[in-house]
Amino acid sequence: MEIDQEQSHQPRIVIPGDIINEATEKNITLGPGLRQEGEHIVATKAGILKHLSPGKWWIESNQKRYIASTGESVVGRISVRLTEYYRVNIGTAHSAILPALAFEGATKRNKPNLAVGDLVYCRVAMANRDMEAELECVNPATGKADGFGGLKGGFVIKCSLGLCRRLLDPTTMILRLLGEHFPFEMAVGMNGCVWINSNTVKDTIMLANAIQNSEYLDDDECKTMVQGLLAKA
Amino acid sequence: METTAVTPGQRLGYAEDYTAGDGTYERDGILYASVVGLRSVDSNMDGELPTMTVVREKEQSAVPEVGSVITGKVIRVAPHSALIAIMVVGDTPCREDFSGSIRTQDVRAVEKDKVKIINSFRPGDIVRAEVISLGDARSYYLSTAKNEFGVIFATSVAGATMIPISWQEMQCPKTKTIEYRKCAKPF
Repeated sequence: MEIDQEQSHQPRIVIPGDIINEATEKNITLGPGLRQEGEHIVATKAGILKHLSPGKWWIESNQKRYIASTGESVVGRISVRLTEYYRVNIGTAHSAILPALAFEGATKRNKPNLAVGDLVYCRVAMANRDMEAELECVNPATGKADGFGGLKGGFVIKCSLGLCRRLLDPTTMILRLLGEHFPFEMAVGMNGCVWINSNTVKDTIMLANAIQNSEYLDDDECKTMVQGLLAKA
Repeated sequence: METTAVTPGQRLGYAEDYTAGDGTYERDGILYASVVGLRSVDSNMDGELPTMTVVREKEQSAVPEVGSVITGKVIRVAPHSALIAIMVVGDTPCREDFSGSIRTQDVRAVEKDKVKIINSFRPGDIVRAEVISLGDARSYYLSTAKNEFGVIFATSVAGATMIPISWQEMQCPKTKTIEYRKCAKPF
């Protein structure tokens, strides 16, 4: 997605309660962090006001507490195992529900065998403010697992939601830089949890630290940091 | 007429002289009180026996029965049922809220298996429903499967009172957004 040229001027930083006067198009779509109050558009989150040409406005903010949203992929930990479903902790205020049949090729006779404490990479099937979120470990379009399911071994780090979104962005340098020198696999959850697995424990911890440190570094500083890590390794 | 205080188990009179009213029961031909209260005798139309009742207090209090119409508030919404606090039975308010639940198969009469509770009720809605059974230990079972039952009052996300526009949709007058509810037919 290209951010249009209007952002080349000073980006506007807003705090909750600020009235947005810049949105002057006829049809405006309000994204995260914006709300209509009577005649005005009001910011409800602190962050940077962003705009995409045909009337899309939103606030780019960073927070650590995740609020479940339909369609997002999350890394969760199983907290309770029941007959028909699992309770999964994904960092939201309430735990989420993962039905035992929401896996590829699962039938009543053939259910997956996940234990309490296991990590799962799943997709939020349904989330709203009044009910517990429902998860699934299949891609709803194809019916196949497509990477969802239990995660074996590895290490989970908690980071801010903004960092997770950047890690999923293909233009972010840090993963490419690390991938040139270390083989590893990773699952990024939009809920602030990132799972990393590598050949040795030492490598896994080093990768985890590198990713967490890269949150506020720009591209050049990232390169310097990775060079430093290689020197020590 | 005299009104004396009675306690449960106290004998009130012979069954052949009185009809058992609220707060009394008959056993082996004698009427006994079943609650603590004041005994009172209401003389009925000629030809019928006077009714003996034991009244606890002056306040009205109602208990839901099978078939009674109740008004209540949605407390919680779960994947297969909605939990309701029953506040009014018929026209009588309850002194203490009773607990009722509406299961997905009792939300409406058509397409019962395609019901999504989250598109029928939300926490905070006021609903009118019918008691279909005394239910389990936790709550009465309620049903909104008729035109006159369902959500009678709901507040939108923006905070305004919503107006029903069909039996499935309500609209917020402030933001014009449509939210899904199982609406009762307005009278």
